[in-house]
Amino acid sequence: MAKEIETPSSATEQKKKKKFWAGASLAVVSLILGIMLSVQFKTAEENESYGGYFRTSRVEMLTEQLQVLQEENQKLQSDLADAQTKLSNVRDENQALVDMKEELELAQMGSGAVALRGPGVILTVSDGQKITPGEDPNLQLVHDDDLLRLCNELKSSGAEAISINNERLIATSEIRCAGTTILVNWKRITPPFIIMAIGDPEMLESGLSIKGGYLEAMRYAGLQVNLQRIEDVEIPAYNGPFQFEYSTPVVAGGEEEL
Amino acid sequence: MILFGILVFCLVLGIIIGLQIPIAIPIIYVQYMSIGILAALDSVLGGFRAHLEGNYDNVIFLTGFVTNVLLAAGLAYLGDRLGVELYLAAIVAFGVRVFNNMAIIRRDLLKK
Repeated sequence: MAKEIETPSSATEQKKKKKFWAGASLAVVSLILGIMLSVQFKTAEENESYGGYFRTSRVEMLTEQLQVLQEENQKLQSDLADAQTKLSNVRDENQALVDMKEELELAQMGSGAVALRGPGVILTVSDGQKITPGEDPNLQLVHDDDLLRLCNELKSSGAEAISINNERLIATSEIRCAGTTILVNWKRITPPFIIMAIGDPEMLESGLSIKGGYLEAMRYAGLQVNLQRIEDVEIPAYNGPFQFEYSTPVVAGGEEEL
Repeated sequence: MILFGILVFCLVLGIIIGLQIPIAIPIIYVQYMSIGILAALDSVLGGFRAHLEGNYDNVIFLTGFVTNVLLAAGLAYLGDRLGVELYLAAIVAFGVRVFNNMAIIRRDLLKK
């Protein structure tokens, strides 16, 4: 194992010993070097079996790529957070839109801008036929105030929508005598007057035909009155214009009052 | 010349042992290992050269081997941390020395 050069001289005993240790050290170190080399070879070969993925340059490149991707990932994550916030905002806006639509529908129903259907009553009123001599024929006619009272009665009985001869009654609708005819929504209507109302049919019926009520009085007067409950009545929309020449909505607290 | 043969024999023996033992260094440390190998090669050649020139010192050789290997690997590691390719410095330094030592050894051997 060690270098043994025969030098019989006794004076060189120490030198020989030194040489032995030198050889031993070099041998051991070269052994270690050999082990390191082969281990490295093995590892390199293993890398090669991965397609050389782990060569140092490759490692550096991948590290760089990883860093870039991580940065990108971070950016995308913040983008995602932004997008999610926006999405939730949009959802809120959508909710607001839905709320607004509901509000609008309600307002349209209330204002008479849309046709409505539902259970209710149909009340047909016509002029009396029996004309007894000596009696004022005027009493046999249906007057504007008759209709007005009937409509008022219907409203107080909980009618949600009323029409007279397909003229929807809205907030500004008038029922007014105009010579020989009656005006509703500035349109002439003639007998027979068909009043349709949506509401609880029972309530509407009983409200009209209550004893001593106006309907009874009309019957007594000889007018032809027919009250009929109906399961499904359709009331048309107000088809005139909504004109507000003098009115402007009052804005309170930045919100329009509906 | 006998020492040279012994060194080559030990190197081959080491390679065989290394191939047989089930040790594999983690892939991350391949770079440091390679620089360590370079340092070890430099040390062995330096030691052999010193031996040929007759000014070999066992302590200097062994400490030099250990510190060179550790310094090289440490330099590479530091370079990685700093983002500077410091291992190149080790490679150049040891590479130059390996060539120098090889040249001197060759001449010494030829002279004999």
